Amino acid sequence: MSNAAAVATGRPATTEMVRRLPEYLMIWVPLLLSAAHLISFSIWTIWISFTPSTLVPVTGWVGLRNYNAVLASRNWQIAFDNLLLFGIAFVLLSLVTGLLLAILLDQRIRGENVLRTIFLYPLAVSFVVTGTVWSWLLNPGIGIEKLVHDLGWTNFHFDWLVNRDMAIWTIVIAAIWQSSGFAMALFLAGLRSVDTDIVRAAQIDGAGPFRTYTRVILPTLWPITITVVVVQLQFAISAFDLVRALTNGGPGIATQLPALVVYDLMFQRSQLGRGAAAAVLMLLILLAVLLPYAAWRYVRRRQAAHA
Amino acid sequence: MPITTTRRRLLAGSAAALALPAFARAQGAVKPRLTAISQWSAGSDGAAITALGKKFEEKGGVWQHSPVPGFTTEMMNKLRAQIIAGDPPACSQLKGPEIAAWSKIAPTVDLDAVVAAAGYEKVVAPDLAKLHKPGGKWIALPLQIYSTNMLFLSKRALDKAKADKPPVTWADFNALAEKMKANGVTFPVANGGTRADDGQKFEASLAGISPAVYRSAIMNLDKKALEAPEIKAAFAQMRKLTEWMDPNVGAQPYATNLKRFIDGDSGMLIMGGWAQGVLKNAGFKLDDFIIAPGPSDNGKPVFLLNADAFIFWQRKEADLQAGQMLMAQLVMDPAIQTMYSQITGSIPVRTDVDLSGEGWSDGQRTTAAALKNAMGNNQAVLSLAHNMAQENGLTAAMIDVFTEYAKNKTIKPEEAVTRLTEAVEGSR
Repeated sequence: MSNAAAVATGRPATTEMVRRLPEYLMIWVPLLLSAAHLISFSIWTIWISFTPSTLVPVTGWVGLRNYNAVLASRNWQIAFDNLLLFGIAFVLLSLVTGLLLAILLDQRIRGENVLRTIFLYPLAVSFVVTGTVWSWLLNPGIGIEKLVHDLGWTNFHFDWLVNRDMAIWTIVIAAIWQSSGFAMALFLAGLRSVDTDIVRAAQIDGAGPFRTYTRVILPTLWPITITVVVVQLQFAISAFDLVRALTNGGPGIATQLPALVVYDLMFQRSQLGRGAAAAVLMLLILLAVLLPYAAWRYVRRRQAAHA
Repeated sequence: MPITTTRRRLLAGSAAALALPAFARAQGAVKPRLTAISQWSAGSDGAAITALGKKFEEKGGVWQHSPVPGFTTEMMNKLRAQIIAGDPPACSQLKGPEIAAWSKIAPTVDLDAVVAAAGYEKVVAPDLAKLHKPGGKWIALPLQIYSTNMLFLSKRALDKAKADKPPVTWADFNALAEKMKANGVTFPVANGGTRADDGQKFEASLAGISPAVYRSAIMNLDKKALEAPEIKAAFAQMRKLTEWMDPNVGAQPYATNLKRFIDGDSGMLIMGGWAQGVLKNAGFKLDDFIIAPGPSDNGKPVFLLNADAFIFWQRKEADLQAGQMLMAQLVMDPAIQTMYSQITGSIPVRTDVDLSGEGWSDGQRTTAAALKNAMGNNQAVLSLAHNMAQENGLTAAMIDVFTEYAKNKTIKPEEAVTRLTEAVEGSR
């Protein structure tokens, strides 16, 4: 009966559906699969975090015991402080570096393509490679410090990698090297899409290049800025491979980050319950960044719709 | 129908196989097969297990070894996944208290009969035997032994300091280090900066000061012993060691700086016996360095035991069961242990193997003599840094304290004692 109706009224719609079927399959099947994975594993992790699991997952209920143990551990406290410092420093500095590079590249210079490729290239390198290379460069015994010493400046000191108080900054340096090219690419696209008429109008009104940038061009970039911040922040929160290759949480446990703590608890200490609790805490930190972003996008879309 | 019969016959065969010593005849019904996982894929470790596999095949078995390269934890992740999937390997690498912990999550094979048939228990150090029979029954077999506190001395650094004898006590050690420092050895203590390295510095210090306190504090976690003055003294000794080390090592493994050690730029290395194999592989000659037991204040050698082992997981397949029995017999065989240790640089688990012959080094002979001596004086203890004394969670929590202490020279020994007791409490 419904078939008949469909045939009677919806023949064009059906052929349209059939024609677009590959597209639907391409989009929806992977999307549903990954959503199912993401959600089911998140729920599973949350459940494990309330069980007394150690070597393997077990049933049982221990309430908040795993959370209390993680929050009270020195490893987590150090990791959390480091995350605050690393997150803020890395996001701000990569933002500034990326913007600066983008503005400089925007000056219609020769060889822009080559330079742009060079700045973007680190993004194509695995974090493990970045971490390993920088761990050599920053090692005082074989890297930059030794080079400068060999050149004659024997008073030069650059031992951040093995200095507990400064080691976290080596991760900031390596992370910026890796990903400021990404910020640059987004900013450059933003700069290029600024309406030339507005820029020309500003110039006619007598604004110099500095004022044109600060008053006219940069304000149009703030949606891009927020995108860059969110993308970089979620990288900062889930940073793992870079730190593991560069300092492995050391010297001592001075450069612990939450993802390292999760891995350590789950796979090295065989404390699945505590590891899951730490993972859920990480998820909460991530949500604290992503939810406001989602809300902001929602509000903006509604404003755009009303305008 | 014929298939069922065969299978029934196989099961009967495997039951007979368990009833040793009728095993050898019953074996005829089925070709022994062994699925094994370990982290030993390359270098001398890989060569040794490959040689063991050849022996297994010579005895008519099918050898199916899947190495998981990398850290032990990565091997454990594979083991965990296989156990959860209900398909454990017939045999896997596992060591120390992890044997007891893991034996609770999946059924293991009772090896009592085959161990008794080989008369193996008499020739294994008692502390070591205990780790491999957690419920009173043998379920795992140790394969080779290392001491984690051997003292490697660079000949050239000794020459610089005009010394020729290895130090016996920590006081001797400290005096020699000062002498080296004064005579142009840049770093009297050669070191790596990994977690295990830092852990070894502490365990060597404490065991050398008092093996008895080591046993009660580190192995038995006795609260009083954890706050004993010897613990503070051990932290103080460890601080001295860190002052003589190269601060630029960062998180590099000790092996990175072995050339400087041979050149006499650094003097003394406290490391497991495996360093001998690593030095040899790196092309250095055996007369470039001396191996001695680690410092011990009462003058008698202290042996920090580290032993690799195989645990056997229960399987229903008759060929795997036959393979497990064959493997168990091979692992206990003195000839096989000799072959294995000569490849890796360890010493055999059996205390009745003669090391005077060719193929053994002076370092291995010294190590074996130290073990015998230490066992006689009740000074053979289990290494914490190499996961022999405690389960992984506790070990890691304690090593956190040692590694922070090694890298942060503002922490006072008494503060470290408090942190250690807190770390033990926090992860229990």
